[in-house]
Amino acid sequence: MNTASSAPALKIADVVAGYTAGHPVLRGVNLTAQPGRITVILGPNGAGKSTLLRAIAGFLQPETGSIVLGDHQITNLPPHRHMEHGIALLPQGRSTFPELTVAENIELGGWTMRGDRARLRGAVEAMFARYPHLRELRERPAGSLSGGQQRAVEIARLVVCDPKVLLIDEPSVGLSPIVAAQVYRELEALKAEGRTILLVDQDVRAAIKIADYVYVLNSGKNDVEGDRSAFEGDLGVMVRRWLGV
Amino acid sequence: MLDHLAAIISDGILLGLIYAIAGLGLSLVLGIMGIVNVAHSAFIMLGSFFAFELFRRLGVDPIIAFFLALPVFFLLGTIVYRLLLIRVERVSQSQGLVAMFGLMVLIENLSTIAWTTDTRVITASYTNASLVFGSLYIAQVKLIAGVLALVLTFLFWAFLRFTLAGRAIRAMGQNRDAALSVGIDVRKLSAVMFGLGIACAGAAGVALGMIFPFSPNTQVQWLAWAFLVVILGGLGRVANTLIAGLVIGLLQTVCTAFLPFDYVYLVLYVLLAAILVLRREGLTLAVKRAI
Repeated sequence: MNTASSAPALKIADVVAGYTAGHPVLRGVNLTAQPGRITVILGPNGAGKSTLLRAIAGFLQPETGSIVLGDHQITNLPPHRHMEHGIALLPQGRSTFPELTVAENIELGGWTMRGDRARLRGAVEAMFARYPHLRELRERPAGSLSGGQQRAVEIARLVVCDPKVLLIDEPSVGLSPIVAAQVYRELEALKAEGRTILLVDQDVRAAIKIADYVYVLNSGKNDVEGDRSAFEGDLGVMVRRWLGV
Repeated sequence: MLDHLAAIISDGILLGLIYAIAGLGLSLVLGIMGIVNVAHSAFIMLGSFFAFELFRRLGVDPIIAFFLALPVFFLLGTIVYRLLLIRVERVSQSQGLVAMFGLMVLIENLSTIAWTTDTRVITASYTNASLVFGSLYIAQVKLIAGVLALVLTFLFWAFLRFTLAGRAIRAMGQNRDAALSVGIDVRKLSAVMFGLGIACAGAAGVALGMIFPFSPNTQVQWLAWAFLVVILGGLGRVANTLIAGLVIGLLQTVCTAFLPFDYVYLVLYVLLAAILVLRREGLTLAVKRAI
């Protein structure tokens, strides 16, 4: 799987969005996720990181501003149509379909391929080849798996239809350090395939380690940004500033 | 005595199969979409009148009407979803409940205008016939209605279990945001699901109309039966709904055989209250473990 040549840039310009009219969480955010790179969004609780991902994924309609993928304006695209444009979201927390089996979960990740069943079956089998430990769990309900196994199912479901842009929200929450490290390695592997990754994370150290570019949001606005090297110093200073200590 | 018991059990099973499809659409719509469709029984009643009019005006057998009801009521359900539910769904669940209550009252009143409150029956060629197995007599109409109900239940189960669209509908009920994330058009599938629920109600109405007398007011009684099935069987699971229907059918026939008629409903409603008070999910879990 290699999508490097076709991965487009994702550009967010002056986005204002929120859950209640007149009370925006995002107050004019600007950001560019370069193709084939991992762009990390950091910031304190309430900065608007997850809200930004939900706005990009179509779950929130921006009041103003634009979201552009390559040459396509996707600002007001409903969430179910993002997959057609090669954008996939891994939401915060558990997002498997708990009563469906592992195989059914992954199969539904390829919903946009449902018109070509042979291709869909092939894509599901490719996921079992890629994540062989899921093969023996394929008939188990996803809800009966451990947290790490469920995350693996979610990642397989995320990439089964070969999306070019991945929006990842807090991928290591609730996972043991060993499993979390595996998740970050997998994100690097997905980047190596040429995918554009926009990652929101509370684990500042782990996120910076795999980042190509970092944006810091604060109170719904851009705060600072820069290459990974700019954030490799004393992270404690940055975190203390967020906390206002 | 054994023959009498066998007759009670067979009668209860056949009635239970019909009660199961009366509750099935309600259970799936509530379990998967979170819509308390109190107008469900009004569509059941319309199903009975659909069969009645087809039989009276065109001589269409209720068995044929049962299968005709499926596409007709499916279409009706998708129209109701698109015209009414899609608007109130965005606001809140309680608004949806009020809207469905309004629809129920509207359907009942329009039906009363169209058909008055007179009680109707459908008298097909097999309505009063019986099948004899040794010393066991089974009403042919109940057997036919029961088999039709079983076929419909199986079709629903197979659709939700073995088709990609069915699995997408189940996924939608388990995690709506994740379903949207993988590209499922939740609104379109919700219309399909609601249409299927109403199709099930229409077909159940045909089956009930084959056996019981009915009028526009009967729908209130059927709403109670449908809710009883849903509460006993839990939400959104076809197999549980089937078992709940069978339990209620058997309880009804046993009570009818051994208690004065007035006590039958008392027993069933006490049972309903007991389930709600003691352990709402208890029987659902027990059934899940047994399957």
